[in-house]
Amino acid sequence: MPELPEHLELKRTRVSCNFDAPTDTEPILYSGAYASMGVDNTNMEDFFKNFKIKINRLTEDEIEFDMVGIDAALANAFRRILIAEVPTMAIEKVFIANNTSVIQDEVLAHRLGLIPLNVDPRLFEYKSEKDLPNEKNTIVFGLHARCERGAPRNTVKSDELKWLPNGSEFLLATEDNDSDPAAKARTYTSFSCGQDSLPEFSVNPICARHPDITIARLGPGQEIELEAHAVKGVGKEHAKWSPVATAWYRMLPEVVLLQDVYDEKAEKLVRKCPVNVFDIEDVANGRKAVVARPRACTLCRECIREEGWDQYVALRRKRDHFIFTIESTGALPPEVLFTEAVKILEDKCERVITELS
Amino acid sequence: MNAPDRYERFVVPEGTKKVSYERDTKIINAASFTIEREDHTIGNILRMQLHRDPNVLFAGYKLPHPLQYKIIVRIHTTSQSSPMQAYNQAINDLDKEFDSLKSAFEAEIVRHSSEY
Repeated sequence: MPELPEHLELKRTRVSCNFDAPTDTEPILYSGAYASMGVDNTNMEDFFKNFKIKINRLTEDEIEFDMVGIDAALANAFRRILIAEVPTMAIEKVFIANNTSVIQDEVLAHRLGLIPLNVDPRLFEYKSEKDLPNEKNTIVFGLHARCERGAPRNTVKSDELKWLPNGSEFLLATEDNDSDPAAKARTYTSFSCGQDSLPEFSVNPICARHPDITIARLGPGQEIELEAHAVKGVGKEHAKWSPVATAWYRMLPEVVLLQDVYDEKAEKLVRKCPVNVFDIEDVANGRKAVVARPRACTLCRECIREEGWDQYVALRRKRDHFIFTIESTGALPPEVLFTEAVKILEDKCERVITELS
Repeated sequence: MNAPDRYERFVVPEGTKKVSYERDTKIINAASFTIEREDHTIGNILRMQLHRDPNVLFAGYKLPHPLQYKIIVRIHTTSQSSPMQAYNQAINDLDKEFDSLKSAFEAEIVRHSSEY
């Protein structure tokens, strides 16, 4: 297969970061873009052949991996889905029985909503407006904190949110109190069984992901008594349902020395870089600058800012190489989040094709 | 208050179709697809995939207004194909790509966790 001339190949595969502005930022997708050169730009087969993935770092709540061979549109779709469309559980309704603290009810409810919960959302169903809260779609937490008179100020932390596996304990007010007293009093939820009897929750009970998030501070004599109902949702509706602290990607930076840089000039170049991309190597004819850590480059362009330096150094990004980072809030491990995101995107594609009739 | 419900962003209202197809009356082999309750996530990858199809002369999408939760994808093809065919093929190809991407990712997870 014929190859593109060097300058066109560079335009096709790299984004150049010049000292004034980046150029060639638009990917060339059109299949016949290089037809006159005899080069086919359709890359369906190439995708399966060239696609590579490599994990650099994987911890309990963070993953960094390299994805090579995809388009920015795809990488961005994954990022958008991770932030806004992978579901989690979050507190949505708060029933406040008593709140004499200085924090207002609505602010308190908002703070509770933002607490990440340590529960797998795949075990639950979405609750729509008309659904009754049951054990399949709602998690109930109770919170009762008090600061005694004369005691020092008390900080209410997220570990005081107690999971109520049998549902709400607050009774619904009914008009006829004198009806059958033996009948079970109705509460705000209608659980048919306790959630703690389900095997997945008996091993690790539901709680807040971090035990030390401050919910409120109570002065002497103040008290908070409430019940919080968590439901399943997506980040599109409210950011509290977003499963990631953040998810982002960057293209792989590429630092190229266009001509050899020696001695004093090399030392100057090493000093210029705030993230230490360059090193000095001793060679036969002096001390030569080399690019040692191109991955660290932030493309701050400090090395080419001074007049004339862009003849020595070229900063580029590889267009199809993405360094993807996902920071999970803890409901799901980061690697599971990514596979969930791919599944969601598949579902989306399926939907836009099957519902077209 | 007159604020729209939060779920309006992703729940397709009853009586409307998720995807509707409208043929262009003036140009042959041109059509626009209106996809309800979708955004740049699907629009941009669909555009990308359509551009790779040699039979597609034009493909583009727009989000008409940030508070109208729909996108309009416009496709113009050569006579060898049709907008419907190009659209279906683009999505099938995307599906295949995701499948291989997912299995590559899972294989890498297994490989990585066996190393440490």
